[in-house]
Amino acid sequence: MISRRALELATAILTGSFGVAVAVQSLDNGIGWSSEGVESGTFPFLTGIIIVAGSLYNLVRGAVPAASLANVPTAITSIELRRLAGLFVPAAIFVAAIPLLGMYIASAAYVFAVLAIPRHQSVVRSVVTAAATALALYVVFERMFQVSLPHGALAAALGF
Amino acid sequence: MDNLSELLHGFTIAVTVPHLALMVVGVLLGILVGVLPGLGAPNGVSLLLPLTFGMQPVSAIILLSSMYWGALFGGSVTSILFNIPGEPSSVATTFDGYPMARDGRPTTALATAFGSAAFGALVGVILITFLASWVAQVALAFGPPEYFAVYFLAFASFVGMGGAAPMKTVVALAIGFAIAAIGIDTVSGSVRLTMGIDELVKGVNFVVAVMGLFGIGELLVAVEEEFHARAVSSKIDWREVFRAVGRLPRHSVALLRSAAIGCWMGITPGGPTAASFMSYGIARRFSRRGRYFGTGEVEGIISPETADHAAGTSALLPMLSLGIPGSATAAVMMGGLMIWGLNPGPMLFVDQKDFVWGLIASMYVGNIVAVALVLLTVPVFAALMRIPFVVIAPLIVIICVVGAYSVSNSYLDVVMMLGFGVVGYLFKKLFYPLAPLVLAIVIGDKAEDAFRQSMLMSKGSLGIFFANKLVTCLVLAGIVLLLMPLALQLFARIFRKSASPRTTNQEKVII
Repeated sequence: MISRRALELATAILTGSFGVAVAVQSLDNGIGWSSEGVESGTFPFLTGIIIVAGSLYNLVRGAVPAASLANVPTAITSIELRRLAGLFVPAAIFVAAIPLLGMYIASAAYVFAVLAIPRHQSVVRSVVTAAATALALYVVFERMFQVSLPHGALAAALGF
Repeated sequence: MDNLSELLHGFTIAVTVPHLALMVVGVLLGILVGVLPGLGAPNGVSLLLPLTFGMQPVSAIILLSSMYWGALFGGSVTSILFNIPGEPSSVATTFDGYPMARDGRPTTALATAFGSAAFGALVGVILITFLASWVAQVALAFGPPEYFAVYFLAFASFVGMGGAAPMKTVVALAIGFAIAAIGIDTVSGSVRLTMGIDELVKGVNFVVAVMGLFGIGELLVAVEEEFHARAVSSKIDWREVFRAVGRLPRHSVALLRSAAIGCWMGITPGGPTAASFMSYGIARRFSRRGRYFGTGEVEGIISPETADHAAGTSALLPMLSLGIPGSATAAVMMGGLMIWGLNPGPMLFVDQKDFVWGLIASMYVGNIVAVALVLLTVPVFAALMRIPFVVIAPLIVIICVVGAYSVSNSYLDVVMMLGFGVVGYLFKKLFYPLAPLVLAIVIGDKAEDAFRQSMLMSKGSLGIFFANKLVTCLVLAGIVLLLMPLALQLFARIFRKSASPRTTNQEKVII
């Protein structure tokens, strides 16, 4: 279970650190005025500062228990968290597998895994859906639009 | 009357067999992405973008804008029949649309929604017809300071009127600016904000951001709630369609008020989502039957739907005439315009008359096509909702992954897309607005260029933003909008010590 407050704080810290990174990085480009006008780091530096300032405000706002936040103390229940992980973790593994397996095998394996392993669909139906997905991708992208999707290191090693 | 003859010329471009066919395809695809939760108009349009590169710009924009109309309509179908908003902007339609449909009047609810939506869209298009070329004419005299002032006004109006917490809007906007700055600086040619990753030199494409923020982000929000699509009957009784539409004029006050709210929110970039919530809230306060809202009131459907479509349509006005999109989808379309080699802004009305008026004429036709198609296909798309979510979700993930990859054949884009998905989920969950973020990614560079060019002109003095009446007014209006939330809060604190407006409109309605 994750409380609304924890989520607010985490998000504010996330945006704040992005802001710090932006501000620090733009110092390399120079901030301020030079003979060529406004230096290229100025604008990003300012946005970085605004992000940090806004995040600090949101951080404080999120930390102080406000009347409205008390109405929804829980942002994500543990059941919801499990559902979220159920969608996101396989998706992340799928993305991580693309360089090795290539788009076609990875997406077919992904569809098969999320359908068959939690037994949402029978194995046969899962295989059919997975194969149809990969085939549809191939026909639409490789054939119709001439966009080459990654074939993967495995396919390259096998000589495709 | 120049506009009317231009419009007639536009019709000769829009009403041709290939363009009508494109409209049908666009609308059907639009309804599809509108119906599917997790796919919406912004990423639907970005997915179609690569397919339009070989087309004439006018054909391409007709396809994309038709998709936008279809998505706006499709979002309402699921809101009413399943209580599942297919689009963020149709959340407010569920409040009264679903109760009415559940009461055994699905046709009435759908016909009322589509009828008022068509009215809203019509008002928006008429506004564009008569106002857009005038705005463009004024804007032709703009120099960099005026442009920066208009950008500033657009961003300020998100903060002042977007409906989300002001500071969250500011953070979202600034993050968008920072993302836009990644890569090669257009003025000096130096490389910025790559965080040591060489591949980031090419910058972050807005399509990648849209796929993640709206696609994966929305999917993650959708998966949280268990989907039982307990559909009410999706059979259409055609006689009731005409009767329901015939009853609409009785609610002309609500129609006109909602259309006005919608147009205002569309032009000043508040966006359709904020417009529909605002319109619903105002209708509930002012309607004689306000206390019955939420139980299937007709005006509870009319108000959000009219405003939603009026805002969605009129969001194209500032995009065409100023180069500032009024909604996230308009921002994506504007990205398309730039890819096709057009320069969005007032010069379009001079250089690309066929494009502009072909598009405007196609809006009239496209919306009629959309109403007809959506009514005809309700049973088909309703059946689609019976496919279990567990099957649809991985397919949408794959679509977003492939969509992000195909932008520039880069694996890094796919990884970033997934990261944007997490950000999109957090932002949605905590009511950070996403539209300003996308808008800033698309036009951040232009706003910065305008600022730096102005600074070059004035040799570093900010006084250039107060140099003439026009630019002063724009800047002052922007400052007023920026400070409005603060002023309202102070006002509330002085006069009503107890109740501080801590929840925003949208949060209030959702909670």
